[in-house]
This record gives sequence, structure tokens and C-alpha cells, in this order.
Amino acid sequence: MRRSALIFVAIGLAIYAGLFYASERLVYATGRSNALFKIATAKEADVDWVILGASHAMPLDFAGFNAFMERETGQSILNLASPGTGPLYNRFVLEHFLDRHRAKNLLYVIDSFAFYSPVWNEERFADAKLLRRTPLDADIAQRLFAYSRQEHVDPRALLDYASGFSKINNRERFEPDIWEGEAQFERVYRPSATATRSRIAYLYPQPPDPAARSRYLEAFKALIVLARQHDIRVVAIKMPVPSQFLDRLPDEAEFDAAMSQLLVSQQVAFYDFARAFDEPRFYFDTDHLNRAGLTELFNRHLKAVLEQNHH
Amino acid sequence: MLFTSLEFFTFLPLALLVFSALPIRHRWVWLLLASYLFYGLWQPANLFYLGAVTGLVWACGRAMAGEGRGRTAWLTAGLVLVLGSLLALKFYDFAAGEVERLLSAIVGQPAIALPRIGTTAPAGYSFYAFSAASYLVDAYLRRLPDKAGAGHVALYLAFFPKILAGPIERATAFLPQIWNGLRAEPDRVVLALQLIGWGLFKKVVIADNLGPLVDRNFAIAAFAAPMELLISVYFFAFQIYCDFSGYTDIAIGISLLFGLSLLDNFRRPYLSLTTAEFWGQRWHISLAQWFRDYLYIPLGGSRVMAVRRYANVMIVFLVSGLWHAGLGYGVSWGFLVWGALNGLYQWVGLATRGFWQHVSRAMPRVGKTTPIHVLRVLLTFHLIAAAWVFFRAKTVGDAVLILQKIGAHLSELPTLIPYYPFTAEHLLGFGLIGLLLIVEVADERHPVAKRLAAAPVWLRWSIYYLAIFALLILGRWQAREFIYMQF
Repeated sequence: MRRSALIFVAIGLAIYAGLFYASERLVYATGRSNALFKIATAKEADVDWVILGASHAMPLDFAGFNAFMERETGQSILNLASPGTGPLYNRFVLEHFLDRHRAKNLLYVIDSFAFYSPVWNEERFADAKLLRRTPLDADIAQRLFAYSRQEHVDPRALLDYASGFSKINNRERFEPDIWEGEAQFERVYRPSATATRSRIAYLYPQPPDPAARSRYLEAFKALIVLARQHDIRVVAIKMPVPSQFLDRLPDEAEFDAAMSQLLVSQQVAFYDFARAFDEPRFYFDTDHLNRAGLTELFNRHLKAVLEQNHH
Repeated sequence: MLFTSLEFFTFLPLALLVFSALPIRHRWVWLLLASYLFYGLWQPANLFYLGAVTGLVWACGRAMAGEGRGRTAWLTAGLVLVLGSLLALKFYDFAAGEVERLLSAIVGQPAIALPRIGTTAPAGYSFYAFSAASYLVDAYLRRLPDKAGAGHVALYLAFFPKILAGPIERATAFLPQIWNGLRAEPDRVVLALQLIGWGLFKKVVIADNLGPLVDRNFAIAAFAAPMELLISVYFFAFQIYCDFSGYTDIAIGISLLFGLSLLDNFRRPYLSLTTAEFWGQRWHISLAQWFRDYLYIPLGGSRVMAVRRYANVMIVFLVSGLWHAGLGYGVSWGFLVWGALNGLYQWVGLATRGFWQHVSRAMPRVGKTTPIHVLRVLLTFHLIAAAWVFFRAKTVGDAVLILQKIGAHLSELPTLIPYYPFTAEHLLGFGLIGLLLIVEVADERHPVAKRLAAAPVWLRWSIYYLAIFALLILGRWQAREFIYMQF
């Protein structure tokens, strides 16, 4: 009985290992927008710019826009932004990037919502959508272990990652890893107050809490310090959003004040484009720039930022 | 802690380890502690309700152990408090809102503002409140020996595999198992694991893969295409079955690991030949038996005049509708309509029973042929599925709209089907339903557990591996709570 059970488990584990391997191959076959996948498959060891942030930074790598920026500026750019991620996750990504790569500059796209909730920070690590596209790497596992001990990241993230469960269980395993926003990149948004309200409610699952903000500003400060240690110049920007969206963000003025204080103290160049464009034709949804909006931003402001601040 | 969560998969082996390390006579104490931990982790405040009901039931039970007229008063007090609190927690706020709305409609402006409780029944309350009520009645009728201690009663109500969604056990069957000592028989472990595996498959692979399409279309009933609505109605019938029976299978399987047998709660309900068979013998059997023993029979059951009998049947189904209200989809009038509609089916069944008996006597072989059998199963399924629409829709209006839209386009459906853009989600859903039906039909003819036991090892193991890896590959593990837990 016991021998049969052991054989049954052993065969099961062998099948599991096979499935894990096949799922890992699929991660490479279908990978694209996951930040850690980009690091694993980056062709160049050194880049001029690394971009970090949440979903507002992601259109910069939609549908060939990154290549367009590289052509226009003559600089190599690697966009490592991930949807719904705050400074803690961004720091995790940057640390992993710096294990094997170098960058001269860091463009950090600031999103206030990401500085208020563990949902976008500690809890984000355990999100199956991110884990299922993250290639297996001993360094990532080790770092996840460290983060779960030191930063209170959900230990289930490490368990999931190490067991490959989210990859094996990925229902989009055969589909390319393209963030849903990219499919809408060319479209023009029709403003809706209801959609804006529900989007903000989603971004702020808890009421803004100054203590949480302080904690995540500290995480951001640690990210800046890390970049400095690697001789990386840090530039921060806020992306344009419609005023209908911006004016409804809770405690935005307080956030701006606290962030400015930090950026000044760390001598980080900051460009606030939040109110740069208000026209709906520049957005594909409540708050993300479409191709027209991004092109406008790049031509009017961003190109100069990338060229002037080049280190 | 959901049965499908990582926390539970950690909790269960630990609970089993401690359980098997303890002497048999102390095992029930550990099960009680583990059950309170399980329920408290869900929400600590839940323990207050559970503790209060347990204390009340035990105290009333002790008081009824004596003689004298006070026994009836204790029974009445116990039932009023247990069932009254259930009613209040489930319906008071809804009823207050409806009264305010009614008065506003009559007066033309907000007339009164009634106070609100502001809280709902804790998870599983409907289940253990009914278990508590059955304990009180059984104690009153002296069906229970006096040796039931407070701890045993507490375990009867709190036993973690069943606390959230049943089966609604009887103390008369549950307590003797504790008194006899809890032993996990090795030969039942395989059956237990099969039940847990099949229950998980029904929940995370079938129910949770059908759920998203159902949610989407029921949320936009006015805009959804009739074909989508029809598919959603079919999918929901199987979603709720797999969700609930999946939970029960897991609960029964886990209980077996702890040496406890729970009631059978489902017997392939969608293979019923009549709606009476569906409700009486195949769907949520422990609830049907509860209603039979504690409501229908006390009302007079079927040994009364025809009019009373019809009324008794309808009362049972209306109360069943009320009991189900709040189940994951909020409290609405739809549950009452659902109960009434099912009651109506029973009326039609009762009224035409004589006619059908006459037909089957006149043509004894025709009724037993496969086509007639299949037709009856299909008819029963569609009647039940149509009633589920009132159960699932947000409002009665939505339910009527869904049925109207499907009804108005029924004649076009045969021509639409070949051209309909079925998605992978549709195909997966139909494939899973097909697989479920194959297993159920096979099980109806000869129990699958026995077939597996008789099968060669390679085949048995292949089936186990297929099931396990289907769970890993197709299961929606991050998905949702069990529907019936949300009472």
C-alpha cells in the first residue's frame, strides 16, 4: 500500500515536472510585456534608459512606440513598467535588472495611487497574472524570499513562483503576453464620468492613508538610492491624464507635496505633465494615452527630457 | 478559509496529523478546536453567532431532558430564537427597505425611515441554524439520548467540513458516531480522496469555468443576445449544481478522513424523471428531508384533504425559496418566485399523477423505453433550469426578460446555431458539461467508485492523473467562493 502510494506520487511528480518545463517553454514562446521576461531576454547588457512605473508608463512600449523613441533619440530604452505596480515592486524589478545589466538613466513614471495601498505593492507580487509570465530564475526566487521576509510580501508569491503553479494553470498559456490596454492603443475614448469613478474606486481600494504613503515613499526613496549606487541618473515624470480623472483623485495635492519634498531632497529632476493634455482624443480609456496622445507628448516634451537628461 | 485555498490545503493535513496522533477518545475535542479555528479564521465575529446558537441549543436540550410542561416552552423558545434570528439577519433590512419603498409610493414622498440591523447572517448560518432547529425538535421528541454534552453539541453544529454549506446533518446520525469513537478507516481513505478530487473538479474546473459567462450575461440581460442568454441559462444550471455538489463531495470526503460519515446530498439530480424526484430524492437531499420531517409532516403532509395537501406543498417550497434568499445574489423577490414556481410544478405533478398512472398502466412498455426516458429527463431539466433563472437574475423583471427573450427567439435557434460564433469559452463549457453528464450517466448505472475499484491499476491511475492535472491546468483556483456558503 505504502509502496504503491510512493510510486503514484513519484509518477505524479514526474508528470508535474514535465508540465512545469512545458509551461516554462511557453513563457518564452509567448512572452512580451512582463518586466522580468524583458530582463531575461534583453539583447543588450547596457541600456541608456530604463523606464519604471505602473500602467501609465506601459503605452511607451505599446505597438512599436519604444522602437520609435529609440530611433528618435538615438538611445536604447528598456521599459520595465508593470500594470498596477507600486514602488516596492518596481524596486524589486530594478534590483533584478541590476544583477546582470547596467543602465545610465532611470525614467520613473509616478502614479499616486500606487503609493497608497499594499494591493499595488506587497500583495502585487502574488498576482498570478504577473507570476505566470515571469521566467524561472533562481535569483528571482531568492529575491522573493528576501522580500517576503523583509518587506512583508505575501509568501504565497514565492510558493507559486517556485512551484510554477500559475504558469501551469495559465488559461492564456497560448496567447501572447500583451497587456489588454495595448489592443486599444489606437482608439479614441469617449469620456464617461461613471467609468472614471469606477476606475478611481479600483485604484484606491482603501481611502488614502498618509502612513501608507510615507511607507511607499520610503520604498521609492530606496529605489532612488539603489539607482544612485549604480551611478544611474533618476528622472521622474507624471504622465498626462484628463482633468476629469485628475481632479477626482483623492488627496492628490497632498501626494504632490510629499513627493516634491522627496524629489527635491534626493535632487531628482521632476517633470509634471499631468495637465499637459485634456482632450479626449489623446486617450484610449479613462486615463491612458493613446498613440496620438503619446506621440504628442513625446514630440512636445518627452523627447527633450530624454535628450537633455541623458547621462 | 475556502476548501480551494492554499490555507485550507495547509490546514487540512495539519488537522489530520494532530487528529491521528491523539487517542481516539480525545479526537472529538481536537475536531471541535479545529472547527472553531476554521470558522473563526473566516471572520472572528462568526464565532459569536456560533457560540450563541450552541449555548442556546444545549441549554434548551438539557431543559427538555426533564419532564413536565416546560418542555414545550423550551422548544418554542429555542426555535423562535434560532429561526427568528435567521429570519431577522436575512430579511429584516430587505423588508424594511421594501416597506419604506411601499409607503413612499403610496404617500408620494419618503414617509418613514426604519432602523436597520446593518449586518447579514454570517457565512453558513442558514445551515447550522437548521441543524440547531432539528436538534431541538429531536431532543423534544426524545430521539436523542441525554448523554449529549455541550462539547458534542458544539461539534455537531461546528464540524468544519459541513458548517459553511452542509449537508444539514441530524444529531441522531452524527452524535452516535462521536460517541462510538472517531477512527479513519484505511479502506475509506481512497473513497474520501476520490470524493475530494471529484468535488474539487466540479467546483474549480466545471462551475468556475462556467461562472464568468453566466455572470456577464445575467448582468446585462437587456442587451445580451437571446442565444447567449440561453447558453447562460444552461451553464448556470450546471454551475450551481457543480458548485454546490462539489462542496458537498469535498465535505463528505474530508469527513471520512476524520472517521465521520455525512448524509448524501446529491444523487445525479439532472437525471431526474420528474421535478418531484428532483426535489425529493436527488437535489440537496438533506434540506429536502429537513423540510419533510420538520415542516411538511407537522403541517399534515399528504394525509390531509387535497386542498390542504396542495397548500402544504406550496408552503414548503415558499419557505425553501425564503431559505435560499441571499445566496450569493442578494435578497430579492426572485427567490420567492423561484420557490413558488417549483411549488407549481409539484401541483401540476400531483394533479396529473392519476392520468400518468393510467397511461403507464395502459402502455406499460412505452414509458420504459429510452426515448421516453430521455424526453422526461430533458423536460424535467428544462423546467428546473427555467426556474433557476429567477434564482440567479438580479430582479424578477430581469428573469422575466431573459425568459421572454429566449422564448421569442426559440423558433430561430435551430437556424442560428450553425452560424453562431461559438468561442473557446463556450466550447470548453459544453465540453465540461458533456464530461459531467457522461460520468453521471455511468454512475447512475453502476457507481463509478466501484468501477474504479474493479479497473486495472494502470487505468485507475491514468484517470486519477488526468483528474489531478485537469485540476491544475483547467481549474480556476483564484476564482470564487462557493455559492451556497454565502447565505
